[in-house]
Amino acid sequence: MKILSRFWWILPIIFIAIYPFTLGGNSPYKSGVLIFVGIYIILAVSLDLLIGYCGQISIGHAAFFAVGAYTSGILTAKYGVHPMFAMLIGMLISTALAWATGRPVLALKEYYLAMATLAFNEIVITLIIGLEGFTGGASGLGDIPPFKIFGFSLVNHIHYYYFVWIIVFFIIAGSLAVVKSSFGRTLIAIHSDEPAARHFGIDSPRYKTRLFMLSSAFASIAGSLYAHYMGFIAPDDFGVISSVNIMVMLYLGGIGTIYGPILGATFMKILPEITYQFQDYELLINGIILIIVLVFMPKGIYGIILKAINRVLRKV
Amino acid sequence: MKGSNDYILWVDNVIKTFEGIHALEHVSFGVKKGHIKALIGPNGAGKTTMLNAISGLLPPDSGSVYLNNQQIAGLTPDRIALLGLSRTFQLVRLFTINNATVLDNVLLGAHKHLNPSIFEAMFYRGRMKRKENEAKERALNLLKFVGLEGAEDALPGTLSFGNQRLLELARSLMTEPKLLLLDEPASGLNDAEVESFIKLLLAIRDKGITILIVEHNMKVVMKIADDIIVLDFGKKLAEGTPEEISKNQQVVEAYLGTQKNSCKVEK
Repeated sequence: MKILSRFWWILPIIFIAIYPFTLGGNSPYKSGVLIFVGIYIILAVSLDLLIGYCGQISIGHAAFFAVGAYTSGILTAKYGVHPMFAMLIGMLISTALAWATGRPVLALKEYYLAMATLAFNEIVITLIIGLEGFTGGASGLGDIPPFKIFGFSLVNHIHYYYFVWIIVFFIIAGSLAVVKSSFGRTLIAIHSDEPAARHFGIDSPRYKTRLFMLSSAFASIAGSLYAHYMGFIAPDDFGVISSVNIMVMLYLGGIGTIYGPILGATFMKILPEITYQFQDYELLINGIILIIVLVFMPKGIYGIILKAINRVLRKV
Repeated sequence: MKGSNDYILWVDNVIKTFEGIHALEHVSFGVKKGHIKALIGPNGAGKTTMLNAISGLLPPDSGSVYLNNQQIAGLTPDRIALLGLSRTFQLVRLFTINNATVLDNVLLGAHKHLNPSIFEAMFYRGRMKRKENEAKERALNLLKFVGLEGAEDALPGTLSFGNQRLLELARSLMTEPKLLLLDEPASGLNDAEVESFIKLLLAIRDKGITILIVEHNMKVVMKIADDIIVLDFGKKLAEGTPEEISKNQQVVEAYLGTQKNSCKVEK
């Protein structure tokens, strides 16, 4: 039991490692489902840093997802830049944007912050649609080549699957390292009571902006991965609806836990694969399941699982 | 006066107005190094406003505040905290989100020593851990010092109100302050708790930490204060030793009403 409580995380890693050959049955579609799960885990975890730990509500997370996707897409499809560099440039642009907007935007609180981030998302989408010659406008941007690494093109879905999940793994590990450190404690203080936190020497605008930059860089990586996987991107994929979807994943899984958003993203991406057989009723059933989870599990899926584990442990 | 090295804090001609109401009018006073100075006055006298003006929560409209001969009026609270000032709050303000424990709260006081960064958290885990362990040891010692030994893993919300106040005190001490501002730390404590609290404050002063305390409990004030300043309706009414203040006619009137009125009551 002790071994399990310390090394439980190896189990999901083994599952991810053998999935393409077992449950996935070597089918591009089935590994594709988990590639999407991985990409959304990155988005949900990076947003959890911002909302769950630092308490800064953002309804514009998909904007940085878009910046990553379009930077990668445009640079590789139109200018033949190496995908690795394109991804790094996307991260740089996202981080710079977060740095420039961080101080003024994060000075706002609650609803005002939510509105400002929502507007930010809309501005990015409007720019993408407006700069048609550059981004392909509303009709989207195509011909994005597959990812390349060390001269090796990841055309094969299984190669790309492993590439995505290695990045997911590092981002989860990095996020956990951040929240479990004294930096994470600083974020919790800002979340709890910002004016009081400042009395302990915490320059809260600086810390909020730094975290915003990290969160945006992660979202940008997710965008690059998405663009190279799809080969075609359109503004619809990055709108406010997309941001709200990421938020739903957070609350569904349990905010401020890192593991919760991982579960939430997995749940939200797997659910349609199960309910698609209900055809016209798919959306209705998805909606009902969401409402049930959100109403009856205020601490999310992660909360329920923790409760169950504790109950089992007590009996043992 | 401000140039004098005897004073750790010098407040000069501070004015603070809230929508036309004068909360503080031309208040000046100093706090001597190593002293416990009490700031007293009737309700609404401007005591908490004064503390907020000093700590930077609500900076003064005009006037100067010097901490160790350095002007701090107008600086943000985090800058002031880095210069060696720490405070507690009238209504306890502990950090409780994400199941932050008692120990987490105290460790937060070490922020300026740890100075955490994302880069360090991700790539220099060993160095961060070492600093964290040093801070942890200091935090546990401070919890012992204030009398909260063994409570480190509890959630702050589960502590009694008196213990929450002690936790706030430990968190402030963790910053290694030169000057400590306490806003009614004894309110809500029972008699036994007040007694041990007095001992604790004297022990803190003996560590060389100067204290400016706002307090309603006169028993506490008379026992520990080296020096008292009295505010009434935002103005300085009197300043002096506990003996001088207890004999001061104006102060007695401010607290008890004029003699005529009190006579009427007795009749």
